[in-house]
Amino acid sequence: MLIAVSAVAFGLLSSAGGDALSALRENPQVSEETVERLRQVYGLDRPLAVRYGTWVSAMARGDMGESLSFRTSVAGLVFSRLLNTLKLGLLALAIAIGVSVLLSFASVRLNKAIIDRSIDLIVLVTASMPRIVLALFALALTVGLSGSVAAINNGSAAAMLLAAAVLSVPVIALFLGQMHGELRQAMNEPFVRYARAKGLSENEVILRHASRAALNPLLTIFGLSLGALIGGSVIVETVLGWPGLGALTVSAVLSRDAPLVMGVVVVSSAAVWLGNSIAEVLQVLNDRRLRDSEIDV
Amino acid sequence: MTGDAAKGTLRKFGAVRLLAAAVIVLFAIVVVLADFIAPYDHTSQSRHAVSAPPSSIHFRRTDGSFALRPFIYQRRLADPLTQKYEEIETKQYPLELFTEGESHLLFGLIPVRTRLFGVSGLAQEAPRVYILGTDALGRDRLSRLLVAVRFSLIVCPLGAALACLIGVVIGMLSGYAGRLPDMIVMGAADSMLAMPALILILAARAAFPLELPPTRAALLLIIIFALTGWAGMARLTRGLVRSLREKEFVLAARSIGLTEARILFRHVLPNAAPVLVTQGLILLPYFLLSEVALSYLGVGLQEPAPSLGNMLAAANDITQLARQPFLLLSPAIAIFLFVLAVRVLVPDTSLRQGGPNDEAR
Repeated sequence: MLIAVSAVAFGLLSSAGGDALSALRENPQVSEETVERLRQVYGLDRPLAVRYGTWVSAMARGDMGESLSFRTSVAGLVFSRLLNTLKLGLLALAIAIGVSVLLSFASVRLNKAIIDRSIDLIVLVTASMPRIVLALFALALTVGLSGSVAAINNGSAAAMLLAAAVLSVPVIALFLGQMHGELRQAMNEPFVRYARAKGLSENEVILRHASRAALNPLLTIFGLSLGALIGGSVIVETVLGWPGLGALTVSAVLSRDAPLVMGVVVVSSAAVWLGNSIAEVLQVLNDRRLRDSEIDV
Repeated sequence: MTGDAAKGTLRKFGAVRLLAAAVIVLFAIVVVLADFIAPYDHTSQSRHAVSAPPSSIHFRRTDGSFALRPFIYQRRLADPLTQKYEEIETKQYPLELFTEGESHLLFGLIPVRTRLFGVSGLAQEAPRVYILGTDALGRDRLSRLLVAVRFSLIVCPLGAALACLIGVVIGMLSGYAGRLPDMIVMGAADSMLAMPALILILAARAAFPLELPPTRAALLLIIIFALTGWAGMARLTRGLVRSLREKEFVLAARSIGLTEARILFRHVLPNAAPVLVTQGLILLPYFLLSEVALSYLGVGLQEPAPSLGNMLAAANDITQLARQPFLLLSPAIAIFLFVLAVRVLVPDTSLRQGGPNDEAR
């Protein structure tokens, strides 16, 4: 699958107009011969299939080439930035899960219509609140409060928390909507009635029985949310100045750095794929019925 | 649904949905009449009003008497450093509806000079009325916002429609053919879906020249949306077709000797249509936000043409952002309103079933 992903991206990047050297070509002080020689140095004059073959074989050895704009190895750059994004993403995930768990448990435990209504409202608003809107307002708020942009760019814990909170908002919609629905449904199942009849306290019923049944669809969502977090990091990191994979993608595109774009695409797809696989394994561990059935992990 | 239940539902959700529908209609009116509603040309600059706050519209004259027609005062720059403006309260300039203004093309065809509202009197000496203030180049922000909304709401539905068309055709053929073609097509669709959508869109954008004139940028955006958006639609269509082709009415159609193509397009497709239309509408906010993201990053629609994204790029000016946050971010508010209205009217089922990636949101 990664091969297919990389082939699509490679084909796209090589298909139409311009590469990292096209800016050089417009510079009147750089002669046509220089550009051609540079193309030979970087191997841009060879046919597409050959270039892709070279790229794949290097990739298999863990070498993703050299970034044209950063002048360092793509692999090192991408992984160090991925680490930053993962830090942010995990924090965002923790926020989203924390909020969702708290609210959905409060909803089934207290069983008040007003809580259900507010959860529906929160899901609607968080689902409709684009990250770019939220990120810009967060920026405006910080600048308004502190009077400078330094408060955001210094990489402090507060800055990280702010970025993670912004990143988490659409994920809250994803988790809260699902968790609330599943938990409500589980509370009406026969096994919950049985657990109550057994004399367990309501807290135990919810924590040990209902939540376990509600967990599996959530693990699917967990897999999905990884893509959302990595993709969403593009805007959040650019606006709030967090040095992660998203910000790297933008600078790679703006500087037409094809090896770097390729590296970002492959690594982010691999990260999403890995996340989905982990989610599937966790599902099997949680639900014994799945162990015997065939799962393509 | 029984009558009572229907009434109950209407009571419960009617008002909100009605409001959402009204918002959508408002956006639709802007799409059709952007230039007419805009008081000024979206490129015309005023050197005397740079980063100006909104004009304050008065009803009470300096002597305390009440004016039936709202008016504004001439303003002058009091402090260039902090960009403070003060009003010169000697002469009033009344506002009027259907005023004579800069000429524009109604429906993009008919040249007219009438605009919805503006300051009456000769355009040369009268001050301009700025509902949302001006940007750093002295252009009326409201006019730019209206034109930007029009651009986004033309490009994104076109992109969504094209993506749906490609996705539906591919999905139908794949689902109906089965076996090897199905495996190849769905493998391709899955690899597309495995990539975070915004990163995929950016990678596709990187393949083309970074700076483009507006019409070509619009075309490119539509093509990129179609190229990157078809996969989810194809997957959905394929699933529907595969379940529908086992139904009795397909067997019946086949038994009376209809061709496969006819069965596919006249019998299977209409039954899949409602789900597909909903999915298509859900795509709309995703594409809108992708367009905003691209333009914000400077690789979508570029200055001087206004788009929701490149207007938001003004927020990169931190001092200005601290001074007028809501004015600078008014495009963001418009985006939020539109997305919210769409979501109220078309509930996103993918939130419950696990659907397409949603990172652009």
